[in-house]
Amino acid sequence: MRRSPVLVYCTLIAAIAFSAFPLYWLFVVATRTNDVVGDWPPPLLPGDNLGDNIARLFAAEQANFLTGLINSSIASVVVTVSVVFFSSLAGFAFAKLKFRGRNALLVIILATMMIPVQMGIIPLYMIMVELGWQNELQAVIVPFLVSAFGVFLMRQYAERAVPDELLEAARVDGCNTFRIYWTVVLPALRPGAAVLGLFTFMATWNEFLWPLAVLEADNPTVQFSLRQLSTTYYTDYTLMFTGALVATLPLLLVFIMFGKQIVGGIMEGAVKA
Amino acid sequence: MPVRLRRTLLATALAGALAATSACGGETGDSAGSGKTTLVIKTFSQFGYEQLFAEYEASHPNISIEEENIGSLGDYLPKLQQWIATGEGAGDVVALEEGILSQFMANPQHFVNLFDHGAAELETNFLDWKWRQALTSDGNKLIGLGTDIGAQGMCYRTDLFAEAGLPTDRKAVGELWPTWEEYLATGERFLAADTGAHFFDSSNGIYQNILMQQGDHTYYDTSNNLVIDSNPAVRTAWDMTVDMVEAGLSANIEPWSPQWNAGFKNGTFATIPCPSWMLGTIEEQSGPENADKWDVARVPGDGAVRGGSFLAVPTQSEHQAEAAELVKFLTSPEGQIAAFKSKNNFPSSPQAIDDPAVQNFTNDYFNDAPVGKIFGESAKALQPVYLGPDNNPIGDRVSNALVAVEQDKLSPDEAWKKAVEDAKRLVN
Amino acid sequence: MTDLRPRTAERTGKNSDVTPPPRRRLGDFLGRMDAKWSPYLFVAPFFVIFGIFGLFPLGYTAWVSLHKWSMGGSGTFIGFENYVELFDDPDFWNATINTLGMLVLATVPQLLIALVLASLLNHGLRGLTILRVGVLLPIVTSVAAVGIVFSQIYARDVGMVNGMLGLIGVDAVDWRADKWSSWIAISTMVNWRWTGYNALIYLAAMQSIPRDLYEAATVDGASRIRQFWNITVPMIRPAIIFTVIMSTIAGMQLFTEPLIFGQGSYAISGGSLRQFQTLSMYMFEKAFRDFEYGYGSAVAWMIFVLIMLLALINFLIMRKGK
Repeated sequence: MRRSPVLVYCTLIAAIAFSAFPLYWLFVVATRTNDVVGDWPPPLLPGDNLGDNIARLFAAEQANFLTGLINSSIASVVVTVSVVFFSSLAGFAFAKLKFRGRNALLVIILATMMIPVQMGIIPLYMIMVELGWQNELQAVIVPFLVSAFGVFLMRQYAERAVPDELLEAARVDGCNTFRIYWTVVLPALRPGAAVLGLFTFMATWNEFLWPLAVLEADNPTVQFSLRQLSTTYYTDYTLMFTGALVATLPLLLVFIMFGKQIVGGIMEGAVKA
Repeated sequence: MPVRLRRTLLATALAGALAATSACGGETGDSAGSGKTTLVIKTFSQFGYEQLFAEYEASHPNISIEEENIGSLGDYLPKLQQWIATGEGAGDVVALEEGILSQFMANPQHFVNLFDHGAAELETNFLDWKWRQALTSDGNKLIGLGTDIGAQGMCYRTDLFAEAGLPTDRKAVGELWPTWEEYLATGERFLAADTGAHFFDSSNGIYQNILMQQGDHTYYDTSNNLVIDSNPAVRTAWDMTVDMVEAGLSANIEPWSPQWNAGFKNGTFATIPCPSWMLGTIEEQSGPENADKWDVARVPGDGAVRGGSFLAVPTQSEHQAEAAELVKFLTSPEGQIAAFKSKNNFPSSPQAIDDPAVQNFTNDYFNDAPVGKIFGESAKALQPVYLGPDNNPIGDRVSNALVAVEQDKLSPDEAWKKAVEDAKRLVN
Repeated sequence: MTDLRPRTAERTGKNSDVTPPPRRRLGDFLGRMDAKWSPYLFVAPFFVIFGIFGLFPLGYTAWVSLHKWSMGGSGTFIGFENYVELFDDPDFWNATINTLGMLVLATVPQLLIALVLASLLNHGLRGLTILRVGVLLPIVTSVAAVGIVFSQIYARDVGMVNGMLGLIGVDAVDWRADKWSSWIAISTMVNWRWTGYNALIYLAAMQSIPRDLYEAATVDGASRIRQFWNITVPMIRPAIIFTVIMSTIAGMQLFTEPLIFGQGSYAISGGSLRQFQTLSMYMFEKAFRDFEYGYGSAVAWMIFVLIMLLALINFLIMRKGK
């Protein structure tokens, strides 16, 4: 199957340039001053104002950007660990264990993926009032500790990635079910779990409507901070771009750290999918 | 109903939540546990109260104040609704934009009657129409006290006016347009000079200004019947705006969009109706290279005010008396002057408007224009206008219809019909 | 809890000959309990947390949708009136059409481009890992960042796309003024974000196709394009179905991209004539801007029903394919 490699490379590099452009442009504007806004042609090379802009970002009173970063980091890590754990546990059960009501329960989980999220705000807020969690970080963590998407994904994954013979062998060895999960299933699921982990981290990091509803500006998440930034300092474009850039960096970091494993994970998981 | 049931069930949870909230408060930190009453005030955008809070806390040692601010009104509204719907979270004082206040006037039970806290004697502290906006129709209940008003001038670019052969002096410019017809005529003269710029940014601000000058009510009569299609005031404002759009005066730029921001710097439009707080925006967007190119003249017609806000005490507050005192302090003439100095929020109190601090206020970026005087005159000239419950959503729909005309997607007749139908369907 | 049982089970299993009878019975008992109840224990956390934070809102929304619920917060029970009104509401149907239209525009090119990208990546090229990571960059870019960047790109007067169109002599397009243009702009944002992810899913599926299938086809003289359609696509069908279902669910809930694309204080209306207002946006507008919470809840339930319907159609097609 020979095709001109030059052509293939060029197409791929073009696709990646296209993929990376918004991120790059975010970076360019974040290194400039407000003078360039509205200019045509737009600036395409970085300036030297990034340090200044970052200093202004963290000094912006209304945004509480540092608190936002810390809160989002905590929430994203806790939610990610929990979702990966509970999803792989339930996914394994749905894929490999026999029990009454299995299919019915699976259908319920699938249906919950179809609920539009925006509507839950008021009833969810009522629960938070009952719990006394208004403006508390756990309000943006606890409701998201499990995920229907996660269970579904891990079920699809476990079906193929965990061979039945392996489970049989472990059972003959006298392992109980949880130990089988812990020593046999979880390692086999690792690449899929990495994908789910990245997705969950991103989703939690990017969550906006609910934090805005239940938190206040003095205790925000990073997206809430960004929003305060863009509505309070709306005349300051470079500040907004710097905020968006800094808010993306942690995701990039997570991505680079797990990048290779994740790429592998998506590919293995998809074979059967 | 379910709300009331839960209120009793929740007394303890609420106490816990309040304690938790104040513990997170940051600035006021160590007040918890010292027997102080913490008042939580909810605001949107910028009210400019920081200095006033400090003063009040100093003169009231038992009170500590915590402001919870949301940057935009659009983000604040869902929160406000959720606080009211669940009966929790509104704190002790809430800021209400005038359209939202109008919506609540039909259900005033969510707010404390400020007459019970000695507000009656304050009537002369407020412009008559501002006072009446928060008064129930039977005159027995006052749910809010006015803060600022969106008193306006007409900002214009002197360089573009000069290029078009128009006068540039703000008095002479004001005399160009005693009425909106003459504003339109001036716009046509401006376009004829072919400077490449449009005359104003978007039709919405123009339409609102004309509408508010047309009589004592707009989409609703004072008994809350929808009269959008029978009130000649609405139609007059609509027709006048459409005439301007058809004359090509509008740049058709969505306010608060990137092109709008860039438009100030690039001179895309020559005039824009500007509330006092917008002066800062114009200065920042236009940048130092355009200093002295902007100036402020009077608005066509009599009086120009768009928007403005109130402070109210929700009945869910546990410190209603203390909260009412704070509201009275913040909305007093002195409080309003301080807010004006801090964030350019124009006062709704005649005493504050006449205060030298406001009257002598000039803006050097705008050729030292005496903006305090200009805005004060337009605020006092305005006659009271009754708004009615769904004023805001109806206004949204009318302004969308105008944009459709600007975009050339609907004929003016079609757009008018659509706006009226949408309004009727909304209210039905 | 899990500390004790494994040890007992292990010992009984391994040393069944030596273990005294009582322990063995205990072991069997625990083993049976384990087999019977572990699955429920494993899925329980999901259902407990979901029951509290997911089911209550769902039920509450259903209850509210049967009320006329204004800003005052005092709901009056009106039965199914909101739903009846909904069927006569042109704005609701407009939002439905917009949502479905953008769903198609955002899903079809996305999956097709992903297929092409995947087949290109399915070569033994150097630096593949970097390329694969590269196409995943968009999903890491935070949504807010995407919104800010794209609203600059599609601005009418100062935007990049119009600037480039101007270079080749095409008049500036007012991207928000028409359905077609706004749908394209918004779909581009969605496509840009998710194409790389889908490409990698396809790539993985392609790599599991046995080589000899292609070799046999080459011997038979089938062209490369024929091979692609007759071998590759059918072989990765499960992966395609998976991505179609996921894109459908996400597309039906499209909210952030169009909201960011529409500008100004009334962005939730999705354009002057609601050119790009999606169902989620309409729901949000009714509930949180017009303060008709009951009506907004009815819209929410209709979205739920519509997604169920689409999922069912997907499912039926999938079954037929088997």
